[in-house]
Amino acid sequence: MKGVFPLEEKLVPVVCPYCGVGCRLYIKSLDGYPRGIEYAKDIPGISNENGKLCPKGNAVLEYLLAKDRLKKPLKATEQGKFVEISWSEAIKEVAERLRAYSKDDPNAMMFFGSARTFNEPNYLIQKLARMLGTNNVDHCARLCHSSTVSGLKAVFGAGAMTNTYKDIEEANVIFIIGHNYAETHPVGFRYVLKAKERGAKVIVADPRFTRTAWFADIFLQHYPGTDIALLNGMMHVIIKENLYDEDFVRRRCVGFDELARTVEKFTPEYVEKITGVPAELIVQAARTFATAGKGVITWAMGLTQHTHGHDNVRLAATLSAICGYQGKEGCGVSPMRGQNNVQGACDLGVLPNVFPGYQAVTDPEKRKFFEEFWGVELSGEVGLTVIEAAHAIEKGKVKAYYVMGENPVISDANTNHVLKALQKLEFMVVQDIVPTPTMEFADIVLPAAAMLENEGSLTNTERRVQWSFQALNPPGEARPDWWIVSEIGKAAGFSGDGARGFRYTSPEDILREINACTPQYRGITPERLKSNLAGIHWPCPSEDHPGTRVLYKERFLTPDGKAHLAAVDYRGPAEVPDEEYPFLLTTIRYVGHYHTLTMTGRSRALVKRWPEPLAEIHPEDAERLGIKTGDWIKIETRRGAYPVRAKVTRTVKKGVIAVPWHWGANVLTNDALDPVSKIPETKACACRIAKISEEEARELMKAVPKVIPEFEVVKG
Amino acid sequence: MARKTVFIDFSKCIECRACEVACEREHNGRSFINVFEWQEMAAMALNCRHCEKAPCVEVCPTNALYRDEDGAVLLAPQKCIGCLMCGIVCPFGIPELDVLDKIMMKCDLCSHRRAEGKLPACVETCPTDALLFGDFNDIQRMRRREFTEKAIEIAKKGERISLRAL
Ligand code: SF4
Ligand code: SF4
Ligand code: SF4
Repeated sequence: MKGVFPLEEKLVPVVCPYCGVGCRLYIKSLDGYPRGIEYAKDIPGISNENGKLCPKGNAVLEYLLAKDRLKKPLKATEQGKFVEISWSEAIKEVAERLRAYSKDDPNAMMFFGSARTFNEPNYLIQKLARMLGTNNVDHCARLCHSSTVSGLKAVFGAGAMTNTYKDIEEANVIFIIGHNYAETHPVGFRYVLKAKERGAKVIVADPRFTRTAWFADIFLQHYPGTDIALLNGMMHVIIKENLYDEDFVRRRCVGFDELARTVEKFTPEYVEKITGVPAELIVQAARTFATAGKGVITWAMGLTQHTHGHDNVRLAATLSAICGYQGKEGCGVSPMRGQNNVQGACDLGVLPNVFPGYQAVTDPEKRKFFEEFWGVELSGEVGLTVIEAAHAIEKGKVKAYYVMGENPVISDANTNHVLKALQKLEFMVVQDIVPTPTMEFADIVLPAAAMLENEGSLTNTERRVQWSFQALNPPGEARPDWWIVSEIGKAAGFSGDGARGFRYTSPEDILREINACTPQYRGITPERLKSNLAGIHWPCPSEDHPGTRVLYKERFLTPDGKAHLAAVDYRGPAEVPDEEYPFLLTTIRYVGHYHTLTMTGRSRALVKRWPEPLAEIHPEDAERLGIKTGDWIKIETRRGAYPVRAKVTRTVKKGVIAVPWHWGANVLTNDALDPVSKIPETKACACRIAKISEEEARELMKAVPKVIPEFEVVKG
Repeated sequence: MARKTVFIDFSKCIECRACEVACEREHNGRSFINVFEWQEMAAMALNCRHCEKAPCVEVCPTNALYRDEDGAVLLAPQKCIGCLMCGIVCPFGIPELDVLDKIMMKCDLCSHRRAEGKLPACVETCPTDALLFGDFNDIQRMRRREFTEKAIEIAKKGERISLRAL
């Protein structure tokens, strides 16, 4: 037919492949090739009102055209050298190896899902892991929001944003903590500014004077890792001055007395000593927040990436609860997710402790359900998390990795340790769209289709599930993630019918299976998603249910239905500055970059504007060390050294150094873990700094993994 | 003639540079809007003002610069001789030289998009509504109305508080 009829330009509605806001846009395509994008102004009710997009959203087509897209399956001949092989060879080899481990010791395998791909392949990867006999399955939410999941679960009974963007827009006060909202999620920040225009007050707590702080009515500049003291201090004032919602606390919360006792000693003066925030500002923030009538707390990695991340989140939730800001419109807690499907990957059980729908693997009844559903015996032992897996390889316990769309070499804390661990693996599969530094260690590489070349459902940070349609053709032999995992599943012997095997013909099949086993997604069918582009907020228990905007209107999801308020005593970061390492290091991000640069690093428009990392340092510190903007410096911690250029700026607090992490700065960070959520403390550690020459910097650079690597490939 | 242009509210700009990326995508890799940062944190986007008395139009010796029906100042590439006059007289230094073709280039208020009834790309994308497209009088009227509405709301709030105090 081609060539006979003139080709028509199509406008395909998709979801942005970048951050968790989940903006909609149209891809203009001609015969499956990209022609441009168009703003989705005509779809009411989407998360990006009026079709607004941030710079990443505007540049979505660029990374797809990267020259180094993976187009054929590869097999390693030695580390970092590959030959091309066929799909059938690749699938056979992967399936056979996995089968063998599954027979000997299923827990010798570790699976990674991905917050950057659809719900369907994420569901499949955990199903594959579990059917092969292990719960060792996790994804990168571990490194950004696992403390949100565990912390919110402890207080409210489930780990998701309680409300939606609409509620941010309707709030009277918005408390932003550990989150540079304007820079990380510009389109989400739109709702903060709209609230502010209506007269809402904005409170920002951050160690840096960020682009977000610029819009704050009250700015609390605390030291990295002192959030517990700050939140306790605010609650001290609220309780002392009787500003909390007594009725709500009496009816719907437990643990208030203990909370009141614990925060007793956190007087504003005491908190000032720990956090560096003036006492009167703490009082003012507490009063403003508690008396507004409708309030939202929002946070991101500045709050979660700590050894006390779990407690930080519990306190934020507690603060929201005692003010009565739960179960109502215009209120809520609102953790902002980094990647577009962090929420979905968590929902669908890409976590070592739960099946899809947060059903505990340790609960015999839930396990029985899935054993019957999938038709296999399942392990009831909680599996390994990302960081634990790295330690388990060293001990020889984990021997095989299956990594789908992940890049632990750059994203995990303490890179040097990760590198050492990966070297010891017996077998590693990497499934991705472009080469990553993690691929260096792969035995088999499986080329995946990118999000826009493929279709499926995604769940954004406000629990909104949306369908993204296929706009473009994948390059070469790249295949959709769901196809790859289901082929491997079949080849590994799971060829049963329906849910008992992997015989899928489309992502719709898989979503129907998800509907059947995930209570929150029961009514979110492919048909509904395709006809309703704005999507549906889970929980949606049946097909005629409209979805849920506000959670916990009547009761919380805890066993007794009450919010379990947290009483936590102060704990600082695991590593604090001392004589040897006198500075406090924290990591940040730039608006134009995202995750480990796999996608944004291949986008010309973004790289041009944000070409390199700059370490922010306070002018007084810089002067003492003789550092000027543009000088090369070496940042050193107990784990590694990192060369970077300096930017002298008053935006950081004295004694603090801030570096963007996208370019591999995790060689520096601490992998000390939060005991509950197992998140590493990437947001605060002790470091020292020295000015160096450009040659020294180049020398040091060699030890930092290259974010965009080049591999030798022999054509098959 | 309704003279429409892109107005910039710098108090809302978060320096995300979405406008630059959007313009660049619509104009073959060249952005006609630029975001400047000053005083470490404040930022402002700047593009062609399509001035009422546009010095670039007045000075162009070949009449390569002209106005379309929306009042946008456009450049006819065939007529441009690359003499750089417009770039020098523009108080904002907007017209730039394309080094390859040796002709000037500038913001055309996205004429291809306007022809389809769409807004300029930079305006369409700006997440914070810092960029507005319209007629000066309309925008001025709108801002005045917004201001009054807010003032009334604040006055009402104050009334409620003082009534409660009584
Ligand atoms: S805000 Fe997030 S989802 Fe929206 S365009 Fe930007 S990256 Fe994409
Ligand atoms: S898109 Fe808007 S907020 Fe972003 S830089 Fe441009 S003018 Fe500023
Ligand atoms: S109006 Fe169009 S051409 Fe002018 S700056 Fe904006 S996007 Fe660029």
